Amino acid sequence: MTKITLGCEPAVGSLAPSKKRDYRVTNRLQEGKRPIYAVVFNFIDSRYYNVFATVGGNRVTVYQCLEGGVIAVLQSYIDEDKDESFYTVSWACDADGTPLLVAGGINGIIRVIDAGNEKIHKSFVGHGDSVNEIRTQALRPSLVLSASKDESVRLWNVQTGICILIFAGAGGHRNEVLSVDFHPSDIYRIASCGMDNTVKIWSMKEFWTYVERSFTWEELPSQFPTKYVQFPVLIASIHTNYVDCIRWLGDFILSKVNDCLIQSVDNEFILWEPKMKEQSPGEGTVDILQKYPVPECDIWFIKLSCDFHYNTAAIGLYNSGNREGKIFVWELQTSPPSLIARLSHVQSKSPIRQTAMSFDGSTILSCCEDGTIWRWDTVATS
Amino acid sequence: MSSPKVPPLSSTAAGRSDSPDVSTIVGPQGAAIAPSEISLVIDSLKKKVDADRCVYIMKRMEENRIKLSEVTHTHHKLSLERRHLRISGADQTVDLLTKRQKDAIDKQNGVNASNGDSDSTSSQEDGHASAILLGSSIAVKNAVRPIKLPEVKKLPPYTTWIFLDRNQRMTEDQSVVGRRRIYYDQNGGEALICSDSEEEAIDEEEEKKEFVDSEDYIIRMTIQQLGSSDAVLDLLGQRLSRKPSELKARYEVLVNRENAVEGSKPGNVEFDMSSLFDKDLEAALDSFDNLFCRRCLVFDCKLHGCSQDLIFPAEKHSTWNRMDEEKLPCGPHCYYRVQKVEGTAVTSSMQPNSEQKAALSSDGNGVQASRKKSNGRSLLRRLKSCQSENASSNARNISESSESETRPVHDGNSTYRLPSPRKSKLVEKRGTRQRNSKRIADHVMVAIKKRQKKLAASDSDSVPSGSLGSKDMGVRSNSHKENEEASSSSLKAKPSARRGRRKDSLVPSGDRSLQAEVPDCALKEITSDQPVISSDDKWKKEEFVDESICRQELIEFKCWRTIEKSLFEKGLEIFGRNSCLIARNLMNGMKTCAEVFYAMNCSENKLSSQGGDGTNSLGDGSRIDSNENTGTALRRRSRFLRRRGKVRRLKYSWKSAGYHSMRKRISDKKELPCRQYNPCGCQSACGKECSCLVSGTCCEKYCGCPKTCKNRFRGCHCAKSQCRSRQCPCFAAGRECDPDVCRNCWIGCGDGTLGIPGQRGDNYECRNMKLLLKQQQRVLLGRSDVSGWGAFLKNSVPKHEYLGEYTGELISHREADKRGKIYDRENSSFLFNLNDQYVLDAYRKGDKLKFANHSPVPNCYAKVIMVAGDHRVGIFAKERICAGEELFYDYRYEPDRAPAWAKKPESSGSKKEEMGPSSGRAKKLA
Repeated sequence: MTKITLGCEPAVGSLAPSKKRDYRVTNRLQEGKRPIYAVVFNFIDSRYYNVFATVGGNRVTVYQCLEGGVIAVLQSYIDEDKDESFYTVSWACDADGTPLLVAGGINGIIRVIDAGNEKIHKSFVGHGDSVNEIRTQALRPSLVLSASKDESVRLWNVQTGICILIFAGAGGHRNEVLSVDFHPSDIYRIASCGMDNTVKIWSMKEFWTYVERSFTWEELPSQFPTKYVQFPVLIASIHTNYVDCIRWLGDFILSKVNDCLIQSVDNEFILWEPKMKEQSPGEGTVDILQKYPVPECDIWFIKLSCDFHYNTAAIGLYNSGNREGKIFVWELQTSPPSLIARLSHVQSKSPIRQTAMSFDGSTILSCCEDGTIWRWDTVATS
Repeated sequence: MSSPKVPPLSSTAAGRSDSPDVSTIVGPQGAAIAPSEISLVIDSLKKKVDADRCVYIMKRMEENRIKLSEVTHTHHKLSLERRHLRISGADQTVDLLTKRQKDAIDKQNGVNASNGDSDSTSSQEDGHASAILLGSSIAVKNAVRPIKLPEVKKLPPYTTWIFLDRNQRMTEDQSVVGRRRIYYDQNGGEALICSDSEEEAIDEEEEKKEFVDSEDYIIRMTIQQLGSSDAVLDLLGQRLSRKPSELKARYEVLVNRENAVEGSKPGNVEFDMSSLFDKDLEAALDSFDNLFCRRCLVFDCKLHGCSQDLIFPAEKHSTWNRMDEEKLPCGPHCYYRVQKVEGTAVTSSMQPNSEQKAALSSDGNGVQASRKKSNGRSLLRRLKSCQSENASSNARNISESSESETRPVHDGNSTYRLPSPRKSKLVEKRGTRQRNSKRIADHVMVAIKKRQKKLAASDSDSVPSGSLGSKDMGVRSNSHKENEEASSSSLKAKPSARRGRRKDSLVPSGDRSLQAEVPDCALKEITSDQPVISSDDKWKKEEFVDESICRQELIEFKCWRTIEKSLFEKGLEIFGRNSCLIARNLMNGMKTCAEVFYAMNCSENKLSSQGGDGTNSLGDGSRIDSNENTGTALRRRSRFLRRRGKVRRLKYSWKSAGYHSMRKRISDKKELPCRQYNPCGCQSACGKECSCLVSGTCCEKYCGCPKTCKNRFRGCHCAKSQCRSRQCPCFAAGRECDPDVCRNCWIGCGDGTLGIPGQRGDNYECRNMKLLLKQQQRVLLGRSDVSGWGAFLKNSVPKHEYLGEYTGELISHREADKRGKIYDRENSSFLFNLNDQYVLDAYRKGDKLKFANHSPVPNCYAKVIMVAGDHRVGIFAKERICAGEELFYDYRYEPDRAPAWAKKPESSGSKKEEMGPSSGRAKKLA
């Protein structure tokens, strides 16, 4: 962590829960034996706000949250390659509204599943190594970004199956890319972070014609003139270790530094404002505004999840010492940040890989290393 | 903070603890303030800063929240719209996800209704149950029949790489040296292995931190309150973790800035474009010198980098000479055209006026243009020689007179003489001017007016500033009359006679005009009471005229902007005295060819008049007149001779000079890698201190040293197509032939037919320039038959054919050692030893040949070749290779460093990505 000069101190969130809301476990499923790495609600289509998908092993499963803590399984997909281990999944959608699931993992092949017709839609071969995260552009849900171990971020059009842009090269990441996110309103802007300890902000503005062309491309997807974006607009080296999660919060960025094993088990999410210098791309400064401590967590590759309106966020954490998996629920947009609740359960003994918050934040799902899915619902009191 | 001054020490020391805000400027006695008090002041300021910061963050968060809520609102709307997409579009197709959703809800209701019914399959029409699971009794994977995703073969792993068609030097930010790198063990799950971190001892230099506003605030307020005593500064420094001296300096800066801001509110100087023109050419060229690579002839060269040392060749190369263009004007403002017009103008004006018109038209008209020119030139030449003869006395005279008060008059003269100064050079300028201005009235008038404006300050009586044109004409016609009168005087005969004697080529008309000119000038001079006029010596006068004209031109030239002047000088250097080329290539939009021409002449004159030795007599007319032609021809010839001579000498000397060190390199190449070449800047023959000699390389064409340098590599003189064996010195030295250096090696530039390179009559083409010319084979990337990726050849090639270049990042050996460790961990290395300084790394940047696999029995070999001063790696066919074959070459890892898969020649699985970790760094060798 870079030294913070006087007068630029961030507001640090207190770890005393405000108990504004409380959650309790309403369901627990055992999906299988293999760890579940991702769980995500569908915020793309309002019909499916209560539908979520998980990936674990070579399996992609679609569930529905019903009233009373009930979870129904709707669909299940299984990759014939048993060695596949999916790390990430994201909801996307076709131009005609067909719900799509985009999943990727250790094989580096991105699977686009047509959930409306229960069949494989497309498979994207191109990444040279495993895919660590996939995100969907909310304004154009046919566009997805993938972050890969091959040190690149790629932009795909799931509708036409085209790899439009590759964010790599001279200014690119120098190690695995762990996380990536679209800016919520500036459609040209993305951010990525990875094992090279940097956060990079990229602009696709100059390449946007290619994005548009990808929608009308009639020839083979492989013949599309895929472009390399080699230079980010900002490289922020605010962390001294892996940055394993990044999310835009409006124009600000939430990123998680992982310092476990190096410095301490006390990690934190930081919220910072990137300040670009338009004249000299690549340079720029960051202003760290807030900190959301993630105490006593010694695993990494943990992602945060927000509700639809980015009011609350849930972070799963795990301490291998006392073998306790907990969930911290933060109020994101208050200053200073306040912890709403600290969720734990006697049986929650496995690392929580990812959480998912429902549309209004009333339900939190967490998926664990041991293949379980937990459902937490708000307690309707006070 | 204007708090009252409280000087007494005791009171300051004793009791201000309660209200630090009111504590005051102490000044020199500040040393006595108790540290606690200083802390209090600082603390209170800090508190304020912190509070401000909180408010700021809150404000920013709130702004962001509002913005974000709009954004999510849009997202929400979009997601609502998507609900209807299907319905309006194709409602006959059933969305299975929606159907399952409904089923689930029905089921739940059903379950709730029947309460206790097991979650076994209720008969759905497609057989897939939408199971509802309560609790964790059943594993989900058994509850629904999964849909199979057909297997897709995954790619062999690779890191995203950028294609390079030529090597690039590593940029600083790509370095891994001094960076801590943490590895994580994939097998060990979460375990992180941090390595190299201790060993590296990251020496993070205390980088200069910028002062932020809040710091400034605290510094200013504290020092204002407590003074800048050492104690205050020390404590402040502690708090801000900065050096006290730094703080003091900053405070001064702040105070100064404050004063400056108050002082100069309105004086915002706008950026002035014209200031650009006042820049010196050197300054303007600075960025060019920094960014332009003189070896690759590109800007921002990725191979040799920016800000290279500038090497100036000891031998200036010849200036540009193009004689065939001589007679074609380069544009409407070409000196040549202007002059032509003058010529005709003169004759036509002469015809009605002077008695000599018959003679003039008879011998003048036909050859007018050229004659006039040569006329003028010869005149000038004569004048000049005259000048030099008459020695500097005249010049001094003139210069004296120029100092005198007559100057405005001359300036005045110049205003109407100068529309095209070239004219004034020719002695027939009077008549010329008249016709000229009538004929090409517009452009000359414009020019006149321009000049008029420029010189308006010199309020000469002869030039009314207003309606210059007409009045000018009046004046001129007057003077013309005077001319005629004068011409009837005795002045007439003598000069013509003398001149006739002197120059056979001289045309009478020239004489006439000259005659006319002299009295005219005399008249002028009389009006200005010049003593010179009284002199009998016509030559002197004439010269004076000439000089004064020249001076006017000089003045004119002085009006040029700095950048124009330096561009002009540069132009002289590049193109020689060719105003057309200078104007077109360098002064476009600034000066016309004619203007350049005059400037050229006048600078020439100046030189000759000042130097007085007439050495510059290479035709002052300066565009290539007959005289100069011969001059350049002579020069060229001598150069040619010199070259021949050198070539001959070279023939016997290459063994002794260049070759010796080369052979050494070849013979012990095994142990000694090639040496990186850096051009030396020697201005004479390279001696002991020559950087090339020191580093053990040959001098190359990029060196500053003259071509005769003993250390130069001389190239070869092989006959046709012979540069393919060790007989060729280039080939033997591991170099490609260079058309600039080798005698017979060259390339055609095509004979006009597209695509096919032109061939000399005998089909000759040097075979040792393939890297330079990029004459490479098509290489395909595919799944290797051995393992991972492989490189394949598209077309069949014979033995020893050049296949392509192994490109990559040029990194230092130190960097390579670091990267090698990382790559070894991943067990795939793309390092290639290039020379003593550099290693090629194709990991992130390279070309497809980086995927060619290792084999102990390869079909290719790699070779480091010197191409135009740079070492490059070529991959060549070791044998005949058929189309579609996979390419292998022996990586030739240093024995102790070779990874297991490259160690045993017998091992069948000869693949780099295959085996376990190796010890040390493995680098390919050529």
